[in-house]
Amino acid sequence: MSTQLERGENVVIGSLAQIGRCGLFLLRILAAIPSSLRYARETVRQLWFVGAMSLTIIMTCGLFIGMVLSLQLYHVLSIFGGTSATGSVVALAVYRELGPVVTALLFAGRAGTSITAEIGLMRATDQIAAMEMMAVDPIAYVAVPRFLAGLVAMPLLCCVFCGMSIFGGQLVAVDWLGVDNGTFWSNMTANVDVWDDVINGVIWKSLVFGAVIALIAVFQGYTTPPTSEGVAYATTRTVVASSIAILALDFVLTAFLM
Amino acid sequence: MSQRKSYAVGTGLFIVFGFAALAYLATQTTSVVNSHQGASYVIDAQFVNVGQLKERAPVKVAGVRVGQVQSISLEPGKDVADVKLSIDKKFGQIPTDSTAVIYTSGLLGDQYVGLQFGSAKNYLANGGHLVLTRSTQPLEEMLGKFFGAGGVADAIGGSYKVTAHFTNVGALSEGAPVKMAGVAIGSVADVKADPVKLDATVTLAIDSKYNQIPDDSAAAVFTSGLIGSQYVAIQPGGSPNSLKDGDQLVLTQSAMQLEDLIGKFLVNGSSSGNSNAGGNGSSNPPAGKH
Repeated sequence: MSTQLERGENVVIGSLAQIGRCGLFLLRILAAIPSSLRYARETVRQLWFVGAMSLTIIMTCGLFIGMVLSLQLYHVLSIFGGTSATGSVVALAVYRELGPVVTALLFAGRAGTSITAEIGLMRATDQIAAMEMMAVDPIAYVAVPRFLAGLVAMPLLCCVFCGMSIFGGQLVAVDWLGVDNGTFWSNMTANVDVWDDVINGVIWKSLVFGAVIALIAVFQGYTTPPTSEGVAYATTRTVVASSIAILALDFVLTAFLM
Repeated sequence: MSQRKSYAVGTGLFIVFGFAALAYLATQTTSVVNSHQGASYVIDAQFVNVGQLKERAPVKVAGVRVGQVQSISLEPGKDVADVKLSIDKKFGQIPTDSTAVIYTSGLLGDQYVGLQFGSAKNYLANGGHLVLTRSTQPLEEMLGKFFGAGGVADAIGGSYKVTAHFTNVGALSEGAPVKMAGVAIGSVADVKADPVKLDATVTLAIDSKYNQIPDDSAAAVFTSGLIGSQYVAIQPGGSPNSLKDGDQLVLTQSAMQLEDLIGKFLVNGSSSGNSNAGGNGSSNPPAGKH
């Protein structure tokens, strides 16, 4: 009984300590941003890996999310004779919730894990120690470019995702189910607000999600135990921790930005 | 080196692509599309009730957008709403005696301001004022009109009163219209329970110009529509004598009650013996003139 209680206490204290270490690591990253400016090329390379290489999956998923949303909404709205609202509801749902959240979950799975595995393997094969020997700050050279790349890539990917969703929704509603094209678009443009929905919904949310995913991924990779088991475990933890953080933060952000 | 360059080009393309997507979302799918408004001028109009009209709602002439609602505020010291309309300079020829009406697009749609042109030769300028306005029609009012009640005749030429006994008046209330052939000819002046006969005594005030109604006419309590309000219908008889003040209508038909109807419908097959009980639809037997 007492050992169970102790274990529970340890779990609580352990996760608190982990959050604290993560916060301190964020401060180290922010402090190292000026000195990492000379590694700008490395940042561009990371942006290519986490951003441009994720485009395929983001675009495919965005297309299908838009299509299925449109299909479902059409059938529900046709009960009330309100199929003309399909366009605006698809756009609002995608901008406010689905776009940022699904993009973030995909980004955590596609880019977050690869960041963690890469840095973890660097740690396991002593490359990070070697950098320190050569007086290269590993935070500035390894952590900051990946963090910045995640921060920049997420909003861009989210915009692409939303655009594909709208296209998919239009494809199903207008081309297949026969909603009038003009009604679809005019209803959307009448109800979607550029500030409330696109800037607050898409941009702010995805910026925060990008920062959180990149921070968790870099932190997990950087602090992994230098074993193959440790790298595997860190990769798993990246996905779990970022997914929970995304969904929890989504509620908080929605409450604040509404 | 060339590999590095391809990274840079690819990343640049990715960033451009992302921003292009953002620009597309922001400009093509949002209300920004509707605010392509060049030079505009402002006119104001006062409404008694703006309903659900919002700022940036469209202003339309003949259904075509010519501007938008700039602001809605309460006229200081009065209970009227002051609405400022921002009209595109292109549409500069709005007659000064035009009417501003608040419309609803569809049954549940958003509201907008419609301008109906007058015939004046002068046009509204910046800061101009629309004198003629028509406010939003609350749905309840429209439904009320639609379901009867609204057609109460104005008894300008005086009225005469006749009474009728009903076993059940349903939800008939004072002021409900009295109709003949669907046209309102008077109103219900009074609904009372008779302490002796234990039924409802309804006093009908009928307009004096309808003084040729036969005295054996029947009165029935009808409902306009399924959920509408109730009214009294006079079905003319064939007697040569007409109704006079203080007469009684002996032939009456009480209000149908939905519950009774449904009950009848449900038990119809099993017991037909007491299907006439329940006081619905039973007309009093003719008992001659009172």
